[in-house]
Amino acid sequence: MKWGTLIVVFILCIFAVEALPLEYHRLYVPASGMSAGEIMEIAYHNKYSLFAKDFQQEGNVFYVDPSGFTRKRIWERLRIVEGDKGDISYKDLIAITYPTEVKGLAVLTWTYKDYQKDQEVWLWIPSLKKARKISASEDDDAFMGSDLTVEEVSTRRFEDETYELKGEDAFKGYTLEETGEMKAQGAPCFIIECRPKKSHWYYDKRVVWVDKSHGGIIFEEYYDKTGRKFKTVSREWDLIDVNGQRYPTQISLECKDLRTNHRTTILMSNTRYDQGIDEQNFTVKALMRSRW
Amino acid sequence: MVDLHPALFIKMSNMKFSFRKRGNDMKRWLFYVLLIPLPLYAADSADKIEYSGYVKTETWIKNYNDQEHLSLSSWKNTVDVALQYTMSDKWTFFFHPRYFYDAAYSLRTDYNSYYDKNQESMGNTQRTEWLRDCYFDYTSPQLDLRLGKQQVVWGMADGIPLLDRVMPFDLSYYWLPDFADIRIPLWMMKMEYSPKVDSTLQLLVIPDFEASRSAPPHAPFAFKSFNDFDSFRNFNAAIGGTTDLRLYQPAKQFKNSRVGVRWRSMVGNLEYTFNWLYGYSTNAYTYTDSFFPTPNPFDPPFIGDYQFSRRHKLMQMMGFSFNRSFVERGPLEGLTIRGEFAYLKDEPTYYGTEGSRQSTEPSDKYAYVLGFDKNFFTNWLFSVQFAQFIHEDADRPGNLQILNAYTYGTMEKIENTLTLKIATDFLHERLQPEVLVIYGDDNDGRISFKTKYELRDNLWLTLGYHHFWGSVWGSNGQFRNNDQIVFEAKYTY
Repeated sequence: MKWGTLIVVFILCIFAVEALPLEYHRLYVPASGMSAGEIMEIAYHNKYSLFAKDFQQEGNVFYVDPSGFTRKRIWERLRIVEGDKGDISYKDLIAITYPTEVKGLAVLTWTYKDYQKDQEVWLWIPSLKKARKISASEDDDAFMGSDLTVEEVSTRRFEDETYELKGEDAFKGYTLEETGEMKAQGAPCFIIECRPKKSHWYYDKRVVWVDKSHGGIIFEEYYDKTGRKFKTVSREWDLIDVNGQRYPTQISLECKDLRTNHRTTILMSNTRYDQGIDEQNFTVKALMRSRW
Repeated sequence: MVDLHPALFIKMSNMKFSFRKRGNDMKRWLFYVLLIPLPLYAADSADKIEYSGYVKTETWIKNYNDQEHLSLSSWKNTVDVALQYTMSDKWTFFFHPRYFYDAAYSLRTDYNSYYDKNQESMGNTQRTEWLRDCYFDYTSPQLDLRLGKQQVVWGMADGIPLLDRVMPFDLSYYWLPDFADIRIPLWMMKMEYSPKVDSTLQLLVIPDFEASRSAPPHAPFAFKSFNDFDSFRNFNAAIGGTTDLRLYQPAKQFKNSRVGVRWRSMVGNLEYTFNWLYGYSTNAYTYTDSFFPTPNPFDPPFIGDYQFSRRHKLMQMMGFSFNRSFVERGPLEGLTIRGEFAYLKDEPTYYGTEGSRQSTEPSDKYAYVLGFDKNFFTNWLFSVQFAQFIHEDADRPGNLQILNAYTYGTMEKIENTLTLKIATDFLHERLQPEVLVIYGDDNDGRISFKTKYELRDNLWLTLGYHHFWGSVWGSNGQFRNNDQIVFEAKYTY
């Protein structure tokens, strides 16, 4: 009897964290009554636009130091979601188009379905005119010099954390500093506390607000081991009509490092879905097409 | 060490110009055909045109590490523009000229300086190298075609060109500049056909020919063998001998085109290529065609009338390359292994005694490199490479030794090279320092520090230092009294 209880509890624990995988190319919206794990799985599904077949977007990135001095980058991003046909979940291609000094720099990443595998990464290096396989960046490294880590942008997976639902509430709103606008005020949200499974990681926990209407994370607070909040990440979402469905799409992202008062803002535009982008655009050959 | 020795920069009295003229006419017409419609393109639609470029000034100062004074080696000012015109979904035209003027060659007036002599060949852009790219691109899911002047890069090693020998090299500043600037672009056709995703057959047809080149004698990075040859020529002439050097290049005819094939594919997450290149070598090799000794009062036996030639020889290269990243959890997670192997058939090789080339014979060579890359401490990249160059010297004449083409120093049958690169960044990638160490046999090597700083989006500063050590007969050691501090300011638009 005692062993039976333990087994049941064990199985329940597994399902509490490791929710069943969602289907590719299908849209999900969280609902009251779902577990924290189920809600977060939808949040990841949306973050990596796994509901779509392909995705294209332009991003304007601003690195702003406390004095207001600003550096800018512009990138083009392409993604294809492989679906069920192989062991790759999705492939990403990011190419820098501004400033000229790094124009042409392009990164091709393949993300495996197996969350225990790192990404495969290739880089087009303009100064060598060469496509080069590179080691995946460390997850806690800054993503392209921003305040976001590599993990926060591209490598964190649903399986990397444990989740606890802290409640449901209307979000108080945040100010997008780049434009000064108040965003997401009053949005009904799930509040979830996420803790990394890795020990001695760069954060101890994060608290996220997931928008009930589309399942996208609109706000995150990062805490260190002392309980001090050291970073916030805000994301603005829009719903784009594609073939009668409303795809949740990030249109701005702002990350503030509260220790240095440095921030990174990304304003996204020209988002397009399901254009039938050929998979050949996500190959080393495609990287070598670069002219810059 | 693989011989990568470019053409000597000596004015030739007997150059064969007939083929050169025909080749230039062909290129000129092709150039006009590509460029004349440009205003029409521009009028068509401005949003289909994309451009960028930069102006750059770089100053090279030789450090005070020999008996000579601190001196200005180079003050190179560069203007670069790149223009892309999107003609349709599948067709694009790309045009990229660049021009530089090195003011050091008009500023230096110190006594005995060779700078005046080198003005012609070092002071500004050489030959057709001002045109870095000029091509039409056709892209489709399965077939890509690039027609025009371009660069093609093979291999997976960094800074050790084993398979990367499609293009000729400009070694005026040794191997110190970026490789995209070291390679000399050529007019060619590149076709990439993908029978399936992640597998590509590349075919190259290169009717154009340019010889690799290097610095003229006594320029900051002139090879020791060139300096010694120049000194010998002057000495020989002073005692009554003559030294004639003829340059033979392959005629620019289609039948002399170089041809290359590369198959690139993946097995699991192991990426590999097979490469084959056939045609005239871009390096010229020195031969002694005739020698008639001249009686002279000092009676050294080597004074006389020499007929030398520099020739590009038919040869072929075969090889393969691979890479694999360890993405699975475990001790190797995050490690990338790269490698390449090249077999050079019938590459001319110099034989002789130290400082004296006595014979040039074809020989086969093997070379391979293994590279290991991994990030440590969050954002510190460590990249290590080990390379080995093996001379198959079955035809070695007598007891002569293999010579280093840069210095005519003697070499072992097997030469080893180890490289280490460490790179990181600070201040949100605004400050990007890196260090590269190259270490060869016989304690020959160099260390290069470089730090790049982004002052503004469009203004970048670079500070570098190159230190060489080793025997004067070594590839790097020959520059042991030639440490350089480099400062660069680049404004982009």
